[in-house]
Amino acid sequence: MTLEHLPSAAPSLARLIQELNKLPGIGPKSAQRLAYFIIRLPEEEAFDLAAAITAVKQTIMFCGQCQNLTDASPCSICASSQRNREQICVVEEPLDVLALERTHCYRGLYHVLHGVLSPLNGVGPDQIKLRELFARLSDGAVKEVVIATNPTLEGEATAMYISRHLAGGNVKVTHLARGLPVGGSLEYTDELTLSRAFQGRQAVE
Amino acid sequence: MPPQRTYRADALVLRSVPLGEADLLVTLFTRESGKVRAVAKGARRSTAKLVGHLEPLTVTRLALSRGRSLDVINQAETLENFTPLKTNLTAVTRGLQVAELVDGFGSEASPNEPLHSLALSTLAAIGQAPDDELPLLHFQLHLLAVSGLMPELQNCVECRRDIEPDRHRYSADGGGVFCPDCTPDQAGLRPLSLRALKVLRLLARSRAADLPSLRLEPVLTQELKAILTGTVQYWLDKEIRTNSFLNHLAQDQTRRQIPR
Repeated sequence: MTLEHLPSAAPSLARLIQELNKLPGIGPKSAQRLAYFIIRLPEEEAFDLAAAITAVKQTIMFCGQCQNLTDASPCSICASSQRNREQICVVEEPLDVLALERTHCYRGLYHVLHGVLSPLNGVGPDQIKLRELFARLSDGAVKEVVIATNPTLEGEATAMYISRHLAGGNVKVTHLARGLPVGGSLEYTDELTLSRAFQGRQAVE
Repeated sequence: MPPQRTYRADALVLRSVPLGEADLLVTLFTRESGKVRAVAKGARRSTAKLVGHLEPLTVTRLALSRGRSLDVINQAETLENFTPLKTNLTAVTRGLQVAELVDGFGSEASPNEPLHSLALSTLAAIGQAPDDELPLLHFQLHLLAVSGLMPELQNCVECRRDIEPDRHRYSADGGGVFCPDCTPDQAGLRPLSLRALKVLRLLARSRAADLPSLRLEPVLTQELKAILTGTVQYWLDKEIRTNSFLNHLAQDQTRRQIPR
């Protein structure tokens, strides 16, 4: 959507609609609704929103170790003395770190790839943070890499690439289990998930 | 009579990309009506029933509803998962190249059953021989054939005389091989070894399901890849994206094989 498509809107309003329209999942109509919502906000709240956007752009950076988004490098997880520094869990996106942290069952470090290998979209090893991962592993301090990429074709390809790269070294490479989701149903599960769930069956205690 | 609101289709999933909060936009290649783009609502939720059946390189039996712009997937059941292919990085990348080229050459609302069968038999062949380059080369040549773009490999494109050993040239732009007397003014004209020509002719006669077991020298493989990839890319009129990662994996493999 360009400014020419909003001839009747005031230039500043048209610009706001245009900028909101660039956000993922926001179409022209939603952008207009959000813009009018912002206009009706109390002045203080609208300025808080603008200040939050400015602050996040000015302070957020990549952690020099795990590549997660942070406002200080190293980030709080990498700087913590409570974390197991011999384990690195490799995830696709920063949101995956939040999801794993909510489980409270992992106390190691992370590495965020910021994407996955996607041959169909021309995303190769140099376009994601794989080089940084292999550099972190070069000093031999890390004993286990837990691959937690999504169980999609591209996530699995990325896992295979990492595993292939580390084969023959001293680092143990593991992979999150594949299987049935809690609340799922066997009847509707695809055969690959079901066969992996079967392979990974465990003794009932 | 207007088309039915719901229909069934057996489809190869070519690609799936996130759409909105939890939906998937899936590109399918159906036996019945060619390429179809459809949405699977809520498929990215962990308890979704559809998502496992809609991974790329899966053959799925679908129930769909016609939509205004995109059809909607209501049910999915996996018919073939190509598991051996998906457990080898090089094989899965070759499989993705099959999906990329079917997406590039297939048309929406235009059935192409030979291409559908070719894609499925190639994916099975790649899974059976993950380290073999031949299934993908065979696919590229037959992709051109089922698209009506098969290069001439028997006679000179220009004068129709039989091709003489080792003196012929090949041009993707010109449509095949040229004899030494006919050298059209084309930038893409390149030498074609007799061995490469013989392999191309053999591949043209073979089926993906029973490919001959050939042990090709690396130089010959490179020549065949250059010819076929060049020709496919010429007709596709854009870069084959999966090629750069395939080349990266091949270089990586070579590096590992060279002792330091």
